[in-house]
Amino acid sequence: MKNLERFGFPAFIIVMAILPNLLNSRWQAVAITFLIFTVVALSQDIILGKAGMFNMGQALFFGMGAYITAILNSHYGWPMLATIPVAIILPAIFGILLAGPIVHLRGDYLLVTTIGFNIVFVQVVQNNLGGITGGPNGIFGLDAINLFGMQLTSQLSVYYFAFAVLLLTLFVMRNLEKSKAGRALHYLREDQLAAESIGINTRIYKIFAFGLGAGIAGLAGTVFATQYAAVSPEAFEFIQSVLFFSIVLVGGSSIPGILLGVFVMFVLPEIFREFATWRFFIFGFAMILAMILRPRGIWPASFGKIPKFLIKESNHGA
Amino acid sequence: MDIFLQQLANGLTIGSMFALVALGYTMVYGVMKLINFAHGDMVAASAFVGLTIYTQVLGQATSLGAVIAIFLLSAIAMACVGILLERLAYRPLRQAPRLSAVVSALGASLVIQNGIMLVWGPQMRIFPELVPQVYWDFGGVVISLIQVLILALSLILMVALYLFVEKTRMGAAIRASAIDQDAARLMGINVNNVIALIFVIGSSLGAVGGLFIGLYYRGITFNMGWQYGLYAFIAAILGGIGNIPGAMLGGMLLGLFQAFIAGYVSSTWADAFTFILLILILIVRPTGLLGERVAEKV
Amino acid sequence: MAHNELILTNVTKRFGGLTAVDDLSFTVRDGQIYGIIGPNGAGKTTVFNCITGIYKSEEGSIKWRGEEIRGMTPYQIVDRGIVRTFQTIRLFSQMSVAENIMSGRHIKSKQNLFHGILHTPASRRDELDNWHKVEEQLEFFQLSEFAATPTGSLPYGVQRRVEMARAMAVDPTLLILDEPAAGLNDSETMGLLETIFKIRDKGVTVLLIEHDMDMVMEVTDYLTVINFGKKIAEGTPEEIQKNPAVIEAYLGSEDDDE
Repeated sequence: MKNLERFGFPAFIIVMAILPNLLNSRWQAVAITFLIFTVVALSQDIILGKAGMFNMGQALFFGMGAYITAILNSHYGWPMLATIPVAIILPAIFGILLAGPIVHLRGDYLLVTTIGFNIVFVQVVQNNLGGITGGPNGIFGLDAINLFGMQLTSQLSVYYFAFAVLLLTLFVMRNLEKSKAGRALHYLREDQLAAESIGINTRIYKIFAFGLGAGIAGLAGTVFATQYAAVSPEAFEFIQSVLFFSIVLVGGSSIPGILLGVFVMFVLPEIFREFATWRFFIFGFAMILAMILRPRGIWPASFGKIPKFLIKESNHGA
Repeated sequence: MDIFLQQLANGLTIGSMFALVALGYTMVYGVMKLINFAHGDMVAASAFVGLTIYTQVLGQATSLGAVIAIFLLSAIAMACVGILLERLAYRPLRQAPRLSAVVSALGASLVIQNGIMLVWGPQMRIFPELVPQVYWDFGGVVISLIQVLILALSLILMVALYLFVEKTRMGAAIRASAIDQDAARLMGINVNNVIALIFVIGSSLGAVGGLFIGLYYRGITFNMGWQYGLYAFIAAILGGIGNIPGAMLGGMLLGLFQAFIAGYVSSTWADAFTFILLILILIVRPTGLLGERVAEKV
Repeated sequence: MAHNELILTNVTKRFGGLTAVDDLSFTVRDGQIYGIIGPNGAGKTTVFNCITGIYKSEEGSIKWRGEEIRGMTPYQIVDRGIVRTFQTIRLFSQMSVAENIMSGRHIKSKQNLFHGILHTPASRRDELDNWHKVEEQLEFFQLSEFAATPTGSLPYGVQRRVEMARAMAVDPTLLILDEPAAGLNDSETMGLLETIFKIRDKGVTVLLIEHDMDMVMEVTDYLTVINFGKKIAEGTPEEIQKNPAVIEAYLGSEDDDE
């Protein structure tokens, strides 16, 4: 297992770096979406997998980031790259504000409020509030990314942009795991009362999880807007949130798990597109089976990654 | 005033349907702490099953006997599906983390929804006109026979359910299992039977709800269950999930609210307002209107 | 003078119609090993829950080092140097022993939320320092061999030690133990006794609930006896042993000594 983790990661990076050159246009697009969805799923994992909060509305923040980029670019003429900080920070702030009144709710009630936020967002955007969200058709005709004078119009360049964003996200996830804040999320998920009683301000950390998850999802939104040079409400409907939710649970709350989850829940259905009508019927069975066989996900979270100097003699953890 | 009364009438009708469906969610949640996301799709399925019974089995008869037969047969069919669902998708996950069962439920939802599509096709079908189109006009406020029947039958069923749960031994077994499954088992209650029973009751009520939806809206599509189910689930949450009178109350309130929003504001904002209302209620009453705080023993 | 003193005055806690703690007053002094004893259901854990912020008592005052802590949240109270263990073990069972103990370092750690996203040399230093503190606790409680083992898979007696190690990792001034000997066999209880003395030698004041009378008599300096939420006696172990009201409370209600 250790070797797999040590060599698996660099191997994955190399494969993903070479991959787009081997694919045709349609599959390159699928690969880009794979990268984007992985970023969103990782952001969802922070809230659902690590902090244990029943969030079924992540498409909200994903959509916010996408729309912010679209609006700033098409209405106010901002260059795409310049929209990135706003597409991260505004959803993050929203995440913090929305989380505040709801993080104390019991699981299923929290679930429903996150669904609510998602649906309100989609409806607001569909109804073209303020005249800037483009209504049911969305906004299109966005610019390409302009990097030091180069226009990144090719699909390949979009892929590498998405890839860079994924790497950045993985970097942040790793930092989170090896930090006080990251551990606090695990503690409060496992036993909130015990966490409070050992000195953890669980409320702050729950809100932090929402804010961080929202910001990362917002960044993914920018990449989405770049890929299609457009945004529309349907891409961020509640059903997408259900997808991200399922990815984390089917794949498991770990980085390999999330990658597997996106592959199973998104790429596989794409591969079986020819079986159009039967696709999702079978897929539903697959989901049920996956949960029965691996209730904690294909590749669940593992603990026990402690500094080596603490591990004496022969007792090794997971 | 006219608009008010009209929307009141519409709201009560829609509310009764929400309530019937919400009961299915709340009963399953009460005992199993599981959100049965497939419930909405079963409700939709019952409308299609009813349609087929009408066209294939009864040769399009619309007598009272035929209508009763459609209701009974659909309810029985959906009760069987419910039991099958529980056995295949939920029972294996009884010991698993709660969220795993939720994903399984989502999978089951996909199966049922797409199952409907595979059998009946993706296009909208028209539900038969089983109830004569009789209307009464009270000075601008139009009420149909269908509305009266839906409201009346729903109320009868809800009262019957309430009495069953509160006054019978089986009902007590259900209530006991909802409070503490293990303790109920130790007291000699066969919790597996209780669970089967709640799926039977929930699915049957949902089936009736589905048929009402068919009668009221006439047009039925394979994916209408998802949206409808979500609303009914909201209603159950609003009333306090696990709480039977709560589901009834939540359903009625939701129906009224939606009717009034559609009447006074606009239907394009109905969803948004509904959810804002829900979020506000939950902030003030974190466990729903009639919900109870579950104390934790430290 | 803000001595390390815990002073409860007229504390009352009700749950609906039931008065679980009734007008309770006692004082724990710096460096004491103070015991709260009483028959089952007497309200002892409820008192602890009031002190540590899990419940808010309806009436009365709870002062720690001169500051009123009644009404504070649990984490705020930990921040002031009071840590507790639970009657039913509440460890993070999927996580390793070391990670569990590390949770005790949370409040002392100097990292902020930003360091969860990006590390700095200071945050890396902080991580290392805290893991070294964990190492100290692992050694003190003889848990080094279990450092990477998930706590859920450990024997009960070991889990109890982990819980205490976690609490001690906070560097508390007052350690509150809720039935620390529950479920332990005789030799484990002896070990617990020694540990409590060693903890007191480090300068930590100890407040504990216990049922095991032999242990209570050995380890405590002073006791308060509670029945039906009310104090029925206080004094040294020798005084309590002879107190007729105490004897009546124990023999009258149930014979529960091992």
